[in-house]
This record gives sequence, structure tokens and C-alpha cells, in this order.
Amino acid sequence: MNAQEFRTRCIKAGQFAMILCIIANFIPGIYLWLFHGIVPSLPDLFQLWLLAAGAFGVSWVVQPLAYYSAIGTAGSYLSWVVGSVVDIRLPAVNMAQEIAKVEPGTEEGEVISMLGVSVSVFVSVSMVTIFTLAGTMLIPLLPAFITGSFNYILPALFGAVYINLAKKNMKMGLGTLAVALIVLYINNFVGIKGALINLLVVIMGMIVARCVYVMEKKKQN
Amino acid sequence: MEIKELMNSSGLWLASIPIVVVIISLSSIYFRMAIRRAKEIGISKQRYIPAIRSAAITSLGPSLSPVIVLLSMIAIMGSPTSWMRLNMVGAARTELAMVTMSSGLLGIEPGNAAFGAQAFSYAVWGVALNDVGWFVVALLMTHRMGNAVSCLNQKFDRKWINMLMAGATLGVTGYLLANQIMSKLLVDNVSILLRMKGLLPALIAGTVMVIINRFFGKYQRLQELALGIAMLTGMFVTQFIYQ
Repeated sequence: MNAQEFRTRCIKAGQFAMILCIIANFIPGIYLWLFHGIVPSLPDLFQLWLLAAGAFGVSWVVQPLAYYSAIGTAGSYLSWVVGSVVDIRLPAVNMAQEIAKVEPGTEEGEVISMLGVSVSVFVSVSMVTIFTLAGTMLIPLLPAFITGSFNYILPALFGAVYINLAKKNMKMGLGTLAVALIVLYINNFVGIKGALINLLVVIMGMIVARCVYVMEKKKQN
Repeated sequence: MEIKELMNSSGLWLASIPIVVVIISLSSIYFRMAIRRAKEIGISKQRYIPAIRSAAITSLGPSLSPVIVLLSMIAIMGSPTSWMRLNMVGAARTELAMVTMSSGLLGIEPGNAAFGAQAFSYAVWGVALNDVGWFVVALLMTHRMGNAVSCLNQKFDRKWINMLMAGATLGVTGYLLANQIMSKLLVDNVSILLRMKGLLPALIAGTVMVIINRFFGKYQRLQELALGIAMLTGMFVTQFIYQ
């Protein structure tokens, strides 16, 4: 088998799995619809998609492109189903390639990358499964203080995540949060529906990014 | 059926399993193909076995870090959905963001008493419609990705693309954060302390995050758990204040 044949095989397996994933991804939703009769209306489904596309659409396209050269073709198929590319897959691939003394981008590198990604999937799926089962058993046993604190999961999560994102570019971080707070304050009197306001703030975030980019570029020149 | 029962029903477990089966199967197929190919192109066992071992050890640490967020997600979405989604693309925080936005369409907040079957179905569809974006791009683009990468690099400034992505992410998280803060702050006729139920946990968690980043930057293991620690501190301290 030559390199091209091997690549073609990897692509075929990857594409077939991708189609299965696209179907399997909707099974829980379809299950709730068929067996329990609950499903969002068609216009609402479209709005949900719009929300997702507005919030993460750029990531859908750019992330796979950005990491392609590092994780290779086969690695890409697998990585974009299982996720955690930056924190789990890339480190696993890097370490595997380093230990095996192969260069990324070569055929040897691609083969080791495949091994690295698939092994990391075995590990992370096992971990998530163990902890889900442990967590499921643990949660009913937790004291009232802890279950009470679950009320603050979301603000605490978004606060921590936001700071973490903003530290990479403070100007963008502060600017976007200020805009979001102002928009939501004004909307308190205007009353535009959640999804639209959500999209509006995402677009504002991109506009703030553009402003900071242009400003930084000017400073350089 | 009670909403918690529905969320953890065996039917939903069965519906959540297929995609994980596909993931494990593709990994096994690629694993075997790679081993066979390694032999063909002359990568010796002495080279690929240590590589496999180091990949496994490397992925162990970061696999542990989403555990606390996983527990929070189980509390909100039930076990099968959390298990399925955390085995897939979209970090726990992305999934929780999508869950919050989806049920927000009905004006309901996750974890709230009003978060019933209808809101749950919105959340389930919301995360599915988000995750499918990556699959479709992977399906349509991976095999011509080489060309796409060079085209992207020629046409656009790399730095701008990264900033655009960061801008969208900040926008999403910023909206969700601002909404948590504002929705409680703007409630009429209650004391100012009670209006801080959104601001306080966010502020505490954010501060802990900054402290861990600033002062404990060199402890890699601690950084992996930073998000979880910051979140728990924010939750517990707020709970202590309002208890």
C-alpha cells in the first residue's frame, strides 16, 4: 500500500464515521420527541441553530483549519468528534511524536498522530464514564449546603471562564463585558427577545475585536 | 414523569450511547490501521509502544480537569446527556453555555424549578445543533484541508482571525455572564445584597481564577484544575453568605 492509498482509506473511514455521528448526535432529541412527545417547534429549532451558529459558527470552521497541520487528516476526523483538541489531543500527539522521534506533517508523523489521538480517546472516554457513574451515585448523598450551592453554578462558571478568556486580551475582555452589560440594561426597558439580544452581543463582541485589532495595527505602524 | 427521572431515564441512556460507540469504533479502527502502517513504513515497536504509552499518560491529567464541571452538568442536565456531550466536541463550558442559551429561548434558566421537560428538550436540541457544526465541517473539509489552510493564510491576517474568534467567544460568554448579573440586579423591591446573587459568585470565581493564574502559574497540574476550583469557591462562598 502506498502513502496515497493509506490516506484515502483513512479519509473513507473518517467520512463514514462522520455521517454516523451526524445521525447519532440527534438520537436523544428524536427520542424525547417520539417517546415523550416533547420537541421544540420548527421556528424555535431554527432559532436554536441560529444561536449556535452565531455563537460558535466561526469556531466550527476556523478551529479545524487551525489545528489541521498539527494533528493530520485522520487525527482531524477523530478530534473534531471528541473535542478537547487543545487540552487533550494536541498534547498527546505532541508527546507521542516527540517520543517516537517523528516530524509532524510527514507520513511517519501522521501515523504516530493517529496512534496518539486514538489512545487519548480511550483514556478520556474511560475517565468521563467513570466520573459520570461516580457522580451520579455521589450527588444524592451530598449535604444540603452543597446542593444549595448548585444555584450558583452558572454565574460562578461564566465568571471564571470569562476572566480566563479576557486575560489573553484585556481590552477586548473589558470592552465586550461593558457592552454586554449596557445592552442588557437598556434591554430591560426595551424587552427584545433573548435569542436576538444574544446574537446582538456576539456581533458586538466581534466588532469590539475589530476595533482593538485596528487600534493595535495603527500603533504598530 | 418527573423531570429528573426523565433526564436520567434508561431510554435516554440508550439514546446517548450510539455516538460514543461510533467514537470508540473509529478510534479502534484508526489504532489498528496506524499500527499496521507503522510496521509497513518501518517504525519499530521500540518507537511506537513508548509513544502510545506517553500519549495515554499525557491525556490522563487533562481528562481529570473537567470533573467538577461534569458534576455541575449532571446536576443540571442529568447523567446520560452530560456523559454523551462530555465525550464529544464542545468543552463542558461550551455545552453549558449552549444549554443556558437554549432554555433562555423560553425565558427559563437551567437548574431553576421552571426548567421542565420542554426546556430540557430545547437544551438537548441546542447542544446537538451546535455540535453538528463541527461534524459537518470535518466531513466536508478535512480531505481538502491542506489547500484551505494555505488559502486562509494568504487571504487573511492570522492575528485577525484569532481575534475574531476570541471576539465571538467573549461575546457569547459575556452575554451569559452579563445576563446572570443583570437579571438578578434589576429585580425590584429586594435588598441590594439579595440582588447580588449573580454578581457575587461571578466576582469571587473570577478573582480566584486570577489568583491561580497570577501566583501559581508554574504549577501545571493546578492550572488544569483552576476552572473547577474557582467555580467551587464562588459557589460555596456565595452559599455561605446567603445561607
